[in-house]
Amino acid sequence: MKKLSYCLDRLRLYLFFYLLLAFQVCGQLLAMEPSQAIVTGLVTDAQGLPLAGVNIVVESTSRGTITDLDGTFSLEAGSNDVLMFSMLGFKSLTVPIVGRSVVDVQMEEDVTVLGEVVLNAGYYTVSEKERTGNIASVDATVLDKQPVANPLAAMQGHLSGVNIVQSTGVPGGGFSVEVRGRNFINGGADPLFIVDGVPFGSQSLGSSDVSGQLFGGNVSPLNALNPNDIESIEVLKDADATAIYGSRAANGVVLITTKKGRAGRTRFDARFSTTMGRVSHFLDLLDTEQYLELRREGVTHDGFGAYLEDPTFDFVWPDIKSWDNGRYTDWQKELIGGTAYRNNAQLSVSGGSGSTQFLASGSYQKETTVFPGDARYQKATVHAQLNHRSDNDRFHFDLSALYAKENNHMPRTDFTYLAYTLEPNAPELYDEEGNLNWEDNSWDNPLAALEETYHAKIGTLNANAILSYAIVPQLELKTSLGFTEYRLDSHRVLPSSARNPGQGFTPQSYSNSTFNGSQRQSWIVEPQLHWKQQWGVLGLSALVGTTFQQQTTQQLVQKGTGYPNNALIGNLSAAETLEVLQDTDSEYNYNAVFGRVNLKVKDRYIVNLTGRRDGSSRFGPGRQFGNFGAVGLAWIFSEEALFQGSSLLSFGKIRGSFGTTGSDNIGDYRFLDTYGVTGLDYNGITVLEPTGVLNPLFGWEENQKLEVAMELGFFADRVLLNSSWYRNRSSNQLIGIPLAATTGFSELIGNFDATVENSGWEFDLQTVNFKGKGFRWSTNFNITIPKNKLVAFEGLENSTFANRYVIGEPLTIVKLYQSLGVDPETGVYQFKDYNGDGEISSLEDRQWIEDFAPGFYGGLGNTIDWGNLTLDVFFQFKKQRAYNALAYGATPGYRGNTSVLLFDRWQEPGDTNPVQSASGGLGFGADTGALQQGSNAAVSDASFIRLRNISLNYRVPTQYDTLDINVYLQGQNLLTFTKYEGPDPEQPLNTQLPVLRQLTLGLQVSF
Amino acid sequence: MKRMKQTKYIGRSREGFSRAAVLLSRLMGLFLLVMGWNSCTDFVEVEPPKNVLVSGTVFDDPATVESALANIYYRIREQGMVSGNEGMTLLMGVYADELDYYGFDTGYAGFYNHTVLGGNDVVLAWWSHAYNLIYAANDILIGVMDSSVLTTEEKNRYMGQALFVRAYMHGLLANLFGDIPYITTTDYRINNEVSRMPLLEVYGMMVKDLNDAMVLLDGLEQNTSERVLPDKDVAKALLARTYLYMEEWELAVSLSSELLEAYDLEPDVEHVFLRTSSETLWQLKPGDSPRNTQEANQLVIQFIPGQSYALTNVLLEAFEPGDLRYVHWVGSQSNTDSTVTLYYAHKYKALFSEMESLEYPILFRLAEQYLIRAEARAHIGNLSGSQEDINALRNRAGLSNTMATTQDGLMDAIVQERRVELFAELGHRWFDLKRTESAGQVLGPLKVNWRASDVLLPIPENELEANPNLAPQNEGY
Repeated sequence: MKKLSYCLDRLRLYLFFYLLLAFQVCGQLLAMEPSQAIVTGLVTDAQGLPLAGVNIVVESTSRGTITDLDGTFSLEAGSNDVLMFSMLGFKSLTVPIVGRSVVDVQMEEDVTVLGEVVLNAGYYTVSEKERTGNIASVDATVLDKQPVANPLAAMQGHLSGVNIVQSTGVPGGGFSVEVRGRNFINGGADPLFIVDGVPFGSQSLGSSDVSGQLFGGNVSPLNALNPNDIESIEVLKDADATAIYGSRAANGVVLITTKKGRAGRTRFDARFSTTMGRVSHFLDLLDTEQYLELRREGVTHDGFGAYLEDPTFDFVWPDIKSWDNGRYTDWQKELIGGTAYRNNAQLSVSGGSGSTQFLASGSYQKETTVFPGDARYQKATVHAQLNHRSDNDRFHFDLSALYAKENNHMPRTDFTYLAYTLEPNAPELYDEEGNLNWEDNSWDNPLAALEETYHAKIGTLNANAILSYAIVPQLELKTSLGFTEYRLDSHRVLPSSARNPGQGFTPQSYSNSTFNGSQRQSWIVEPQLHWKQQWGVLGLSALVGTTFQQQTTQQLVQKGTGYPNNALIGNLSAAETLEVLQDTDSEYNYNAVFGRVNLKVKDRYIVNLTGRRDGSSRFGPGRQFGNFGAVGLAWIFSEEALFQGSSLLSFGKIRGSFGTTGSDNIGDYRFLDTYGVTGLDYNGITVLEPTGVLNPLFGWEENQKLEVAMELGFFADRVLLNSSWYRNRSSNQLIGIPLAATTGFSELIGNFDATVENSGWEFDLQTVNFKGKGFRWSTNFNITIPKNKLVAFEGLENSTFANRYVIGEPLTIVKLYQSLGVDPETGVYQFKDYNGDGEISSLEDRQWIEDFAPGFYGGLGNTIDWGNLTLDVFFQFKKQRAYNALAYGATPGYRGNTSVLLFDRWQEPGDTNPVQSASGGLGFGADTGALQQGSNAAVSDASFIRLRNISLNYRVPTQYDTLDINVYLQGQNLLTFTKYEGPDPEQPLNTQLPVLRQLTLGLQVSF
Repeated sequence: MKRMKQTKYIGRSREGFSRAAVLLSRLMGLFLLVMGWNSCTDFVEVEPPKNVLVSGTVFDDPATVESALANIYYRIREQGMVSGNEGMTLLMGVYADELDYYGFDTGYAGFYNHTVLGGNDVVLAWWSHAYNLIYAANDILIGVMDSSVLTTEEKNRYMGQALFVRAYMHGLLANLFGDIPYITTTDYRINNEVSRMPLLEVYGMMVKDLNDAMVLLDGLEQNTSERVLPDKDVAKALLARTYLYMEEWELAVSLSSELLEAYDLEPDVEHVFLRTSSETLWQLKPGDSPRNTQEANQLVIQFIPGQSYALTNVLLEAFEPGDLRYVHWVGSQSNTDSTVTLYYAHKYKALFSEMESLEYPILFRLAEQYLIRAEARAHIGNLSGSQEDINALRNRAGLSNTMATTQDGLMDAIVQERRVELFAELGHRWFDLKRTESAGQVLGPLKVNWRASDVLLPIPENELEANPNLAPQNEGY
């Protein structure tokens, strides 16, 4: 703490220093400034009606204002200045003052799509037209149309180069996000998330001791964000856009900006919606007759047929002998066949004057599951925005705050796996008295898990204040202050009543509950200086700033065992014994200086330099600092005389960028040689364990990004085509180098001399196909063709990765046996014996390479406006391969249900069926079924085209101008076209609930 | 506050782009320097968190060294091949002829059917766990040796225990896998590339470590009365066993005799596995939950089908009529209509639900020393001495003296006695079959897949991959 306060003193000193410097500079500049006068005016639309909220900026400076309700404005400007008027949906206007004191303008509605879209690039904004980097964005118009709970779900398929996969259909779960492929051998693919300027920790603080069987421990903190509160999401992809985030930008940066209030009348907006969700695809499993046929055949084939008739052995196969052979239960219907409901209500109020605007909104959402029982997920969010500018427009103040409370009650296990594998003739769930049926202790009743509950309470606060002051028109001092807090309290209870009574567990001997209390707090201070100057055809803008960030994380996991009775199980103080499973804290301090210089000549030649020097506490002494930077170039060639007046080409730009970013995403304190304190003890002595092999020498992972792109607009920008080619190379890979167990550990963290390359093409096409009176049809299309390659890996052949990776192949490969089908004589799977030793078992026989990375992916959206109706249809598509049903079982006849595909098995010599002979799992010899599960036969095409979203909105005509009523019907994942036979091509694991098919009916009223 | 040094950009790749990047970074660095920046190095240096101790400080205090040793005993109890959870008692029991397996767990089925492959999870877990504990022991040895704070007595106590653990874990590995690396350093660069050492040399290293441990632990009393830490006598017991395996009969006799003089056999068969048993040399203290052994919970069949393994008929038939060990150490469970009866090892009786701490898992007990001496004596021609030792156990079990009189007869009697005395205890039966080279003869008729190469488990496939110097794989895998 002493160090910290010392450093804060230092920070204050810097601020003072910068202020001093700023005043010094401005003193000089002030002397040169031309005389200023008040300019007033009125802004109207084509029909002459006043326009409120029009943005007006004095071109030579960054100063500006917005029009009041009556369309009037007033600002200070030099007599030779030029005023720039802009507003979303209108063509921007540039009007020279030429000595006037009153400037009235009329704005035309913008027909082009390109418009004057301004993109958030983090520390600065840039217009779509003049950007030198690659920034993909989705805005509220896309987000609002999707009935989803997490903004990541709404982004799926809409952004080129961004691959998002939802890991479970259970509410409150996680996502995986990859921007331009996997850069690092050691996982860590998450981009940097920034919400309203504050870095938002996206890593889960879930504990696998509590939610391991439900979400794999992965609880996405982004669930806290209400998609309806978001104005835009920008994804920074190339070096030019990301290098200013330095060591944290290697995997890209996702900037989330929340909605702001607009000047004008106070507006109230209310939305209500109801969503119904169901599992979109059930597997084709064996029915009882088929199942028992396979079971008997398998046991007989194993040589135990005689025992089947002997009642002494009935207990070995209760499904065949003890349970009702005529019973059939569709366990998918029983366990994951329900309907999940989500009810959502949101109210917001916004408005303000020209100088001060506000927005406040609150929402409540309740979501149930497709599981039996009363599982539910509830979320309440509050969002507030306040923006103020002083009368002289020198001082700006922006405040935004988000708070979300999530409350999640779930069974402790996802029922999906059981739904796929329970025997079709498994017993009744309840006995006649309504108690759980244990069928003479011959099975584990799945509904017992309903008593084993998972409960999470999550509180998320994200607050940001930006203060800025224009010392002189060209120079602005700005400070961003952010605070974020994430708190997760979850627990899981395992009462003895959920266990098979035959085991004799009592509340005293068995009942236990595990509590995970975790929190993460982070503050950030970023003082910056922005400078903007125009000299004739030469425009310069520059910024320099520093970052101080501190993040602390605490996690306490406790387990109480032995309760007087199961009613007290939630109360740790009633537990007989209390164990602390985990008690950790960590501190991450981060310090940086960053800058940007942007030079623009004649509005068509643009150079953008960005850089950052980063220091991170995650590295050992002497290794904390690293430098990162990028250069971006753009040439807007359509501004050249040659293309002026071209009726075909309305816009043309070539741009390119190159630079380096890094990654310190390796966890805290990994450079220390330590013994870990555990909550365990032996003979009353606390256990201290060595935590690993020390490597104090590790440093940053490096990532070099190169991009070349062409942006074209045709027919007055009615057709816009962006094409980019990128190549990112990541080296100095920080990985857990697997160690032989004889070292005592399984890995050593170190920088490996390996290079991973991600390259690819991205195309974005936007067209306005038809535009007529009351009818407009536009199309969006994007496609990404990524390629991942391990370019270099010194000593791969002799390393521990020798059998996992191949130079020249992607990181996403798996090496498999090559299946040669079933031998028609023996009925056993055959495999290619690569090393020719006559046996199929060793690593050398796994030479078949399958790549699980997508071949290409993208989305196609169409929007049709027809009078009061708006129809959006969005398809997502992906070409990929994935494990199929065979990967989870390839031998028919084992206990537990399987895909009906296994019924087509070999039975007698001469048969040519694709599945080998049945076995009850009692056979001897090599387990060829297991080999088949790890062979190329267990992989198949999982490409899909999915109707990700369809939205029909009807604007109800009213007689009041100010009243706006919309009724909408939205569908999510309604249709999927695929040849894949597993649960869901998007997320093929058979242990997680697939993403649901959802239908939403909603109403929006605003006035 | 240190002044920042202009650190050089570290470029890995030697390509043109990289040079451009270097230039760019330098320009940027200069740009930032011009802005009057000097970094706050202290800000990015943090104190270690509360859940770790920096390694050096562990060996500055006897309490933390004891905590480091506690880690080893805790892990022996809870994980790996010794533990009751998934240890040798169960898996080598189904591998040999002690337990039948009815279930569907491929790990167990692999052991039962002798279809263990190099990728077997249990094999990898045992191997990794043992070497993790060996690392922990070596780290304590080195740390304690270098410590300037600990007293000589403290150093001897800790180093003695660490040496014992090192020998014990290597011994178990050697018996399962044959030739193995013997690890005596913590340097991962060396340990990552070690080769396997011939079995006899492994035994030689064990003998040296155990002798050193006995010297270091000489005269040191345990701090507890419950024999829950290894001391000189435990090292001696392991050394006696090692000499038996090495067929150093004289040495085995002399060490086991020392122990047999110092300790008494528990007179009542029923009390042998209680925590207060007088013949226990080393037992592991259970935790708070359960307060008794994992073994009881794993082995005792409480309902049918229960845990899907049960004592084999051949073992049940091996008991002579009237053997108290059958009466007290074998239990049975029938299903509701009594069509099925399964038998289980009932040496440990206290279940999870038992709230009082009655039994601890026992790793070394005196009865084994009688059997070691009996066998060694038979080999060196002391047949009457051998008979006495066998009879000590037979008489306790309510049986009459052995009828065997010849060396061969005594050898058979000892194998039989070991079988019924040490059944379902840490794989003794399997190691005896292997050691006496009778595994094929006994298991061949019982296990369809039996091959002579089954006397050794495969080196884990992952490990051969991680360290090619471990090649070749054991024969048959």
